[in-house]
Amino acid sequence: MNTTEEFDALKKENENLKNSIAVKSDLISISAHQLRTSLSALKWIFRMFLDKEVGSITSEQDGLLQKAYQSNERMITLVNDMLTLSHVEDSALKFKMEEVDILNLTEETLFEFSGETHKKNIEIIFIKPSEAIPLVTCDKEMVRVVLQNLIENAIKYSVSGDKVFCSLHNKENSLEISIRDTGIGIPKEEQESIFNKFFRAANAKAKEEIGSGLGLYTVKNIVEHHKGKIWFESSSEGTTFFVVLPIK
Amino acid sequence: MAKILIIEDDTFLQGLETAKLQKYGHTVVTASSGEEGMEKINELGLELVLLDLVLPKFDGFEILKKIRETEAIKALPVLVFSNLSEDADVKKAESLGATDFMVKSNFTLDELAEKIKSLIK
Repeated sequence: MNTTEEFDALKKENENLKNSIAVKSDLISISAHQLRTSLSALKWIFRMFLDKEVGSITSEQDGLLQKAYQSNERMITLVNDMLTLSHVEDSALKFKMEEVDILNLTEETLFEFSGETHKKNIEIIFIKPSEAIPLVTCDKEMVRVVLQNLIENAIKYSVSGDKVFCSLHNKENSLEISIRDTGIGIPKEEQESIFNKFFRAANAKAKEEIGSGLGLYTVKNIVEHHKGKIWFESSSEGTTFFVVLPIK
Repeated sequence: MAKILIIEDDTFLQGLETAKLQKYGHTVVTASSGEEGMEKINELGLELVLLDLVLPKFDGFEILKKIRETEAIKALPVLVFSNLSEDADVKKAESLGATDFMVKSNFTLDELAEKIKSLIK
């Protein structure tokens, strides 16, 4: 093959790959829509039984229906997280990079969780930096997904009366975001698997908190596409996640 | 208490939504296709439209566009209630003038009813 032929062959291959990615994401979004229709129906029906809208139920029936409701909620979370991951993977090559005020974005994201923190009686403390924070060149919606996931996890593994701390630090040519909880921590022997797809720590599963095991995998994916870094420190007294994003 | 139009082609979901909103004291009018929805948006006295997006014949986006283009009803609150959630769909609904957007499977019917209450003046 000469160079032109090779080039044409590669171009064709590239087209084929693009088409198969498009088919894959269409398939995911169509199945997600169909799945959600059934999951909505189940959610609403279980809720009706649990709220005794269709008559009284025994405590045994209530227990079983609670299990059914939670199991359905897990499926809904899985569909939501799968869609987010598919969206991140599709967008990875065309991130919309712009200069973003991370302080503002963090405040917006924290505000989204105010209902949840109120309900669980958890206080979120945002330690704002004393110095000015530079704008960070990133895909705003993707970084929002990172913040949402980390804050959601911190809340999820905290109990009533706990505090979640969020802070921003200027580093050389980068910005460090940290989110600390005083929750159950990540068991030492499982720490290296925490970013793996579908992995969930044993103590998280035991707590019966709903999760798909896709959140941190997605977060790491986004941070790495921004040439940033993510890591954590964890003990039985809580976990802190750190994300460093380059400014430019 | 308000008069609400539910445009939803899944008649089972539509039935559950209707029963819940009636329980909250609302009067409910239903449409099970885009075509029927297009007719019923002109019904007198509507105070809110609960709008699904994936519908036969005309989709929810077309209905939303029609509402915003029709002088008599252009200020009507439209709550999009769909199982689509991609950025492109949400942005399209926003740009066509949706008042709010909720993903069905993420909310209970009581949460839906509370949202409706907050949107009706």
